Amino acid sequence: MVKMSLDPVQVKELNVSPSPNGDSRASWEEEEAEEEEEDRLGIATKTKPVTGRRARKVEGGVFFPKPENAVTVAVSSRVLFRTELEQRVFEQKGVEEYLRYQIEHENEPFAPGPAFPFVKALETVNARLRELYPQSEELFDIVLVTYNHAHVGIRLINTINHHNLFIERFCMTGGSSPIGYLKAWQTNLYLSADADKVREALAEGIAAATMFMTEKLTEVSESQLRVAFDGDAVLFSDESERIFKAHGLDKFFQHEQDNEDTLLDHGPLKGFLEALGKLQKKFYAKGQRLDCPIRTYLVTARSAASSGIRALKTLRAWGLEIDEALFLAGAPKGPMLEKIRPHIYFDDQMFHVEGAAEMGTVAAHVPYGVAQKHNQPQKPGARK
Amino acid sequence: MVSTVQNTDVKQKDADRALVVAVTTRAVFDAAAGDVYGMGVAFPLLQSLQKVNERLLEKNPAESLLFDVVLIATDSQQQSSRIISSTSHYGLEVGRFCFSSREDLVETLVVNNVQLFLSTDRDEALQVSQKGVLSALLGRQEAPSESLRVMLCGDAIVRPDCDPVPASRGAAQSFSARLGEMRGRFGVSGSPLSIVLVTSSGGSKSCGVALQTLRSRGLSVDEAYCLAGAPRGPILSLLRPHFLLGDGVIDLED
Repeated sequence: MVKMSLDPVQVKELNVSPSPNGDSRASWEEEEAEEEEEDRLGIATKTKPVTGRRARKVEGGVFFPKPENAVTVAVSSRVLFRTELEQRVFEQKGVEEYLRYQIEHENEPFAPGPAFPFVKALETVNARLRELYPQSEELFDIVLVTYNHAHVGIRLINTINHHNLFIERFCMTGGSSPIGYLKAWQTNLYLSADADKVREALAEGIAAATMFMTEKLTEVSESQLRVAFDGDAVLFSDESERIFKAHGLDKFFQHEQDNEDTLLDHGPLKGFLEALGKLQKKFYAKGQRLDCPIRTYLVTARSAASSGIRALKTLRAWGLEIDEALFLAGAPKGPMLEKIRPHIYFDDQMFHVEGAAEMGTVAAHVPYGVAQKHNQPQKPGARK
Repeated sequence: MVSTVQNTDVKQKDADRALVVAVTTRAVFDAAAGDVYGMGVAFPLLQSLQKVNERLLEKNPAESLLFDVVLIATDSQQQSSRIISSTSHYGLEVGRFCFSSREDLVETLVVNNVQLFLSTDRDEALQVSQKGVLSALLGRQEAPSESLRVMLCGDAIVRPDCDPVPASRGAAQSFSARLGEMRGRFGVSGSPLSIVLVTSSGGSKSCGVALQTLRSRGLSVDEAYCLAGAPRGPILSLLRPHFLLGDGVIDLED
């Protein structure tokens, strides 16, 4: 197992131009500023008080970026929060009872789910971005996309307020497929507990992954967002994995060596890595490379000496930087991930996802490529 | 001159309890050659209203809270006899026909106790709502949908003083209360009537206030979308409402 840091690519002096909006605020921004003002004076809104609600600090900067400018991350309610109890009510007693239960417990906020630390880290990055670029809309925009019924809406909103999350946009589709809405929001990443929805999103060209609740959760950084990716069938296509599965390890190595200078084709999460890189460059441009609140990792079973080279060359050709590339040459990923402590780790194989979870890493499954036919989950798959 | 003709093919609704919805004949029928008019933009809407009535009566044959559809013709180009015969041809559940003129439109609506006026003409709808009658533009429906989809704009609910048409605000509130009563007759799934809430500006807290306000008026919402300033167009084209309430009169193609 070899750990290699890529040499920082020379960053061209970036001319950071002011955002397309310039200095004038859109009319909807004015309205929101007014609303906050009313809120401070305690006039307009009369939501029921929820225990433990803390006042949200209002700072300068853009709070409602246009979807096309922002990096939109859509999360479902079941990965953002823990809803196992309510799920059981739904499964055992049906939808009417489930909704009645939700309404009854409206003032009890849900506990954080597997995507919660990741979302909190996105907000930390946003705070730093707003400090440096107060006019820019190039921020993370977190949207709650759930096919929950709007009856659960008040409880979800109360929970968002309770945890001081900055989630201002949502879709509660009341049972119909959320996929159309993902496209309408120009979603860059979709996280859900439902593998079918995730597959649908992937088929539409949207980066997506299934998340699972783990009992063990290692502590993650509160100041730096860390995102780790598997290589094949996540950042890259599954073409090499196909060779390996069909013809074995030796043929795989031979193939990679023969094709060292041919770029790998892109995988479903390449676009998301690209979006992260774009935001990273904004920090570098302000001299904050060492202090950058975003860090990315490649954690691959490829080996540095041979098959890893093709991966690195491909990344470089794509103009994508990755902060740390870890070539495990087949060694288990769990221990390495435990050292890195990413907020999220993307892998196409359930075997690795479970291995990571066992060691307390939040891992998300990307159901893409040839591995789906060969690797079935060891434990029962995600419930609906 | 205004004349009202009752449709004898259809059982008349209870005048006190029914939800009277008026639609212009221009929206329902397309000019076509021959004795029978072609189907217009409002056809899917009428079919959905009809389906709601059927399901309500299935549950309770003595139900009096039903949609009562009135067709309003202000266009002298459309002949009254063809309107009536076309209605019969398609088996539309229309209670009454009103043959009026543009000048007498508002009076016709008031006299007939119309609680909601639907049109494809923006100016017409705006003019009516400014006189205190709740009015909305019809949405474009490419295919018949499973249920009647009513969209409510939450922004006017949260901040009524920003309501562009304050005159019809009272009418809007009482209509939504009756609609809520109707919606309450059905369960969560498989309802022939869906209530969709959209808030365009303001964050999730505003939407929460809208949900609670509507609930306190007796209207439970099925789907909720909080846009917080994101462009409305892409979401609206997915939601496919039959009509939109509570935003003055906006163009659904926006």
